[in-house]
Amino acid sequence: MQSKMKESDPILEVENLSASTDNLPILKGVSLTVYPGEIHAIMGRNGCGKSTLSKIIAGHPSYNITKGDIKFLGENINSLEPEERAQSGIFLGFQYPIEIPGVSNLEFLRVSTNARRKFLNKEELDTFDFEELVKKKLEIVKMDHAFLSRSVNQGFSGGEKKRNEILQMALLEPKIAILDETDSGLDIDALRIVASGIKKISNTQTGIILITHYQRLLDEIEPNFVHVMADGKIIKTGGSDLALELEKKGYEWTDNFVKET
Amino acid sequence: MEIIEKIKKNKLVKNQTEIQKICLDKLQTSPLPNPKSELWRLSNKSKFSNFLDYSFNEKDGRFDTPYPKNSQNTIRLIIGENCDIQLIGKNYSIEQLSEYELHKYIKEQISCFDQNENWSDLLNLSLSCKKNILGLKINGSKIPPIEIFSHASSDSLNAKTLVIFLEKNCDIELLQVNLGKDNSSLSQSTFFFLEENSSLNHGVVSYGKKESNLLNSLNVIQQKNSEYNLGSLHFKFNYARFEINIKQSEGNAKTNIKGMQITKKDEQISTYTKINFYGPNGFLDQINKSLADDKSHAIFEGSIIVPKIAQKTDASQLSRNLLLSDLAQIDTKPQLEIIADDVQCKHGATISQLNEEELFYMRTRGITLAEANKLQLSSYFQEIISFIPISKDRWDLLDKLLNEN
Repeated sequence: MQSKMKESDPILEVENLSASTDNLPILKGVSLTVYPGEIHAIMGRNGCGKSTLSKIIAGHPSYNITKGDIKFLGENINSLEPEERAQSGIFLGFQYPIEIPGVSNLEFLRVSTNARRKFLNKEELDTFDFEELVKKKLEIVKMDHAFLSRSVNQGFSGGEKKRNEILQMALLEPKIAILDETDSGLDIDALRIVASGIKKISNTQTGIILITHYQRLLDEIEPNFVHVMADGKIIKTGGSDLALELEKKGYEWTDNFVKET
Repeated sequence: MEIIEKIKKNKLVKNQTEIQKICLDKLQTSPLPNPKSELWRLSNKSKFSNFLDYSFNEKDGRFDTPYPKNSQNTIRLIIGENCDIQLIGKNYSIEQLSEYELHKYIKEQISCFDQNENWSDLLNLSLSCKKNILGLKINGSKIPPIEIFSHASSDSLNAKTLVIFLEKNCDIELLQVNLGKDNSSLSQSTFFFLEENSSLNHGVVSYGKKESNLLNSLNVIQQKNSEYNLGSLHFKFNYARFEINIKQSEGNAKTNIKGMQITKKDEQISTYTKINFYGPNGFLDQINKSLADDKSHAIFEGSIIVPKIAQKTDASQLSRNLLLSDLAQIDTKPQLEIIADDVQCKHGATISQLNEEELFYMRTRGITLAEANKLQLSSYFQEIISFIPISKDRWDLLDKLLNEN
């Protein structure tokens, strides 16, 4: 999949995507293209479809694509399983990272990392080699080694869960990372650690989509594009100024926009 | 009356012991358990009948222990094979109970039996010949872990009995392994008597093979300040019952139980527990988990009995169940019978399916659905497994068995 691509080709193309769950339409024709090195922000009210878009790109089985395509590195991934998408380089950072009692974080991270490495034809890591790798990655998010011996996200604070998400992103080295409200529930210090982690991981070969309500994350990570979503569609796209404008005007105008159109 | 006739006709039972005669007499009045009673109403009648169909056999077939032999400092005993036991260590002794002690204790137990509640024990004791009853008294401390095997033989019904006295201040770790064979029925009854200040970490791992059946009964009497911890796992039986009867004879004792049963195909495995507090300040923490797949049926019925004398009892009983298939069935009924007015008792039950969001989370990290299922089930097992006193090399084998289809 990767070898066919040129550097200038888009990583992700969402083309006129409509999707529903339990016969309820959620997305109503979303289009979005992300090129290597780009950072996109998607903003909008609760319930406008931001998180749904991220889950559908990641392959959540509860949603049906009723129209449109998702292309990753030039290939249609509509029918790929979530694990196939993840292995090929799509990462979803959860708004509410899931707790998995009884599964050690270290083992979970190792199994995930090896699944991605296998896809990349890299040698899988044994526990010893993986510990070496994870030790370096922990520094990116300033996490203590003790988190590895605990169950996945169990008993973690909100900030620790989000840092664990970024740790996973650092280990999986995705081509595109969709970070769903990674800033929610974080205090200023934790936000800076998370934002700095994202910046360290991202490079000219990767794309990032930040889903957020607030300007404060975008103060730390400046996006190339800001998209405003309402009623399952992207209703406006602009530069980073658009986020500032939203911060001033609020989301009320998006309701009017939807009514008018 | 078929089972009675079968026992009577058996040539090998000609030289019946006094205990066998007493139990047989009692069985004459209730040759089969009452199918309408709470304890038996959900029991699959055809499977139970299949349990009784095999011809009774006192001799054991070839037995391959599933674990490497005594890879650690472990005392291994096999019911039916170890007849003359006397192990004396620096700080402990493990000795066989004399015939007098054994018979006296069993007779005392029988005198308290309820025909229906203890039907499995009556059957067991009417079938268990002298050779297949292992009675031990243990005292001291720093005792090496003990493993006791009980196994069935193919195409037969075997009965094994274990009686253990833990003397004052004794502290042991004991793993009991019950093994089914192809087309077999195993009746295992176990009796523990924990004297004051004694402590027992008890593991019960029972697993069968093709078409194997098990009636496993466990009777525990705890004197004051004793502690009894039970971790149990039952799986791979066509039909299995695990009946637990615990009495805190004077209260002031601790009981912790973490049990699990796994059913697949059309298997039926059930756990019945009855915990009696006969004195104040008793403590119980119990969790029972069932995992039912395919067209199988898992049952849990638990009762906690707290009479007026048992003030300040602190008891908790939780039944957690996981349904893995639309055709699988789980019945669960945790119950409290409380007369005392100053107690803390709670009970509860949940039945759920594998958590879809957990699975999706793992899949978004590149973990396949099959692997994610396995991880999730392992996490479900973990709480119980970690409570079973079993060493790492033994656990590896168990893990392999659990992951077999």
